[in-house]
Amino acid sequence: MNKRLKFLPLVLSGLLFLAGMSPAAAYADEPYDVYNYDRWGEAIPSQAGYTAERSISGRDLGAGPMDEPSDLFCDHEGNFYIADTGNDRIIVADNALEKTVRIYDRFIMPDGSETTLSKPAGVFVSEERDWLYIADNQNSRALVSDMDGNVVLEVGKPESDVYDQQRTFLPQKVIADKAGNIYVVLNNITTGAAMFSPSGDFTGFYGANRVEPTAEIITNYIKNIFRSDEKKASMARNVPSGISGFDIDGDFIFTCSQSVTQTTDTVKKLNAAGKNIFAGLELAFGDYTPMYDTANNKLMKPAIVDIDISDDGSINCLDRTTGRIFQYDEECNLMFIVGTKARQVGGFDTAAAVESYGSRLYVLDSAKDTITEFTETSFGAIVHEATALYNDGYYEEALDPWYEVLKRDGNYRRAYIGVASALLRKGDYKGAMKYAKLADSPKLYDKAFEAYRREFLRKHFGKIAAGILIAAGAVIVLKRRKKHGAAVTETEEKEE
Amino acid sequence: MMDLTQRQWVKHAVTHPVEGFEDMRWKKSGSLKIAFFIVFLLFVGQVFDGRLYGFQFGVPYDKTFSIVPYLVKSVVLFAAWVVGNWSVCTLLDGEGTMKNICIYSAYALVPYIVQLFVNVLLSHVLIRDEAVFINVIRIIGVGWTVILLFSAVRSVHQYSPGKTVFAVILTIAAMLIMLFLLVLFMSLVQQIWIFILSVYTEISYRFRV
Repeated sequence: MNKRLKFLPLVLSGLLFLAGMSPAAAYADEPYDVYNYDRWGEAIPSQAGYTAERSISGRDLGAGPMDEPSDLFCDHEGNFYIADTGNDRIIVADNALEKTVRIYDRFIMPDGSETTLSKPAGVFVSEERDWLYIADNQNSRALVSDMDGNVVLEVGKPESDVYDQQRTFLPQKVIADKAGNIYVVLNNITTGAAMFSPSGDFTGFYGANRVEPTAEIITNYIKNIFRSDEKKASMARNVPSGISGFDIDGDFIFTCSQSVTQTTDTVKKLNAAGKNIFAGLELAFGDYTPMYDTANNKLMKPAIVDIDISDDGSINCLDRTTGRIFQYDEECNLMFIVGTKARQVGGFDTAAAVESYGSRLYVLDSAKDTITEFTETSFGAIVHEATALYNDGYYEEALDPWYEVLKRDGNYRRAYIGVASALLRKGDYKGAMKYAKLADSPKLYDKAFEAYRREFLRKHFGKIAAGILIAAGAVIVLKRRKKHGAAVTETEEKEE
Repeated sequence: MMDLTQRQWVKHAVTHPVEGFEDMRWKKSGSLKIAFFIVFLLFVGQVFDGRLYGFQFGVPYDKTFSIVPYLVKSVVLFAAWVVGNWSVCTLLDGEGTMKNICIYSAYALVPYIVQLFVNVLLSHVLIRDEAVFINVIRIIGVGWTVILLFSAVRSVHQYSPGKTVFAVILTIAAMLIMLFLLVLFMSLVQQIWIFILSVYTEISYRFRV
């Protein structure tokens, strides 16, 4: 209460200001403190980029309550596919998420028999083929069907030497690329996603995570040099965490893993060869400094359960531990942090999947059995516009949006970088230096300063050269006079 | 011969690394006042180096500012060196008094301090690609100071070069021991303080009822 009162004048003046300029004065309504990170990796207050609009349950859709839904997918036509795991069905809802378009719970096999789903965990629709891909978890298969429910392909446990036959085959998520290759995430496989050819043949594993080089692993490696083979065989092996979710964007597949102990490869951008493009970059996803959870006596380390790529290329990572979506731009710069763990709209219990459509974000909660819709605020829209322009190299065009961002949030570091880059391109080196300093970016400052110095020298070269010449001349004259004077006194002394 | 003012002695000692301090000792010269002023300049130089460096060479963390690290890096470090050197060399038949050790060591710091100031100035003129100039100046400054310190210890105690090296190593060890004891002492004081505080709180609660 006290805290509220303290901020009241500030909030009131802010509201007055906002009322004057934009209709979206709903910023203060977020059920959590909106924050971002500064250059030092410290959390600072920020403006909200998204605001929770409403939460949608199965009843709202007219499909009856959902039970532990685990995946959400938005196809190219804008329809939403919800893997309603507990009810063994796939719900298709319209774009506005107001009514159910169709429910898939039984499929016709190619031989004419009927088959049902059992705990479907993942769903995907291929744009190229118009096929439905379902990770049918308890039936140990991935189903591929057309839109009318006729099964085209059934992918089961691969009978290959590469696949350990003692392991189960429980698909968690499924995805298909443009060529029709099917990728299946399995919860007990740490060597990557199982990859199948369009005809359903197992072709290997794709995109395994690396083992994090912790101190324990390094000491074990050194110790292993001296260990006998029997001893080595009985040791616990170091295996990386498996993939827990992925999304496809053009030619790239983005994966995430929800391991809380691992910090390498929690988010990857894989090319067609399975090579991680983010591998060389020192990137951290989720909270930089995890909060300490006093109730459960542990650190709230990020567990990225799902990843989604927006139409504009932004990367949305869903952290189950804190119930937050971390939105990054294409270059992996943090833009917004949305959501929290709470009971209100905008808060989650067990966030399971994230999906985006246009400027909206959708989060599926498998404990609340709801989908929460987030809409972009006007601040978010400006940041997205500026970021898109900046990342495409239109620095000068991005200048005005960045100024607008700074007007609304003076802590937004990316905006200072954007303004500094734009001014540098424009030739306003002094201004670029100022903004680079505000952005705490020595590299940018260095570039601006170099240009400024060059310009300064060119402009004042005559004066500087003249100054140096005069100074040198004065020094020589003074020295000579001193010497002469000293010589005179010496001779005088001798004469005496 | 060698009738120099105190200020000229500083110049002489710094520019004559081999026999400058010997001359100073022979003439029984050197001023404690100037020595303290040099240490003060060292402190100022450290602060400048930490706070006023050119922005292109790194961002100072300016959310908080504490003077203590700069004091430790200059005054405390110098005091530890003087005390450590004195305590070691008294046992090793050194001839230097505490006062002379202080004066000679302070004079030896001059190139390092000059390097600090010059680099702070240069860092506002140069860009990152030209950082090599700053590095060269730093290496020259530090190397010169090391040579001068060695020469200072040698002449203040009238040691052979080998014994000087030995004494310097022992001095560094003594500094580390002092530092260790200091930290130990600090934590002890802290605990005593907490103890007194908790006893006071406890008693004050009893009396309030």
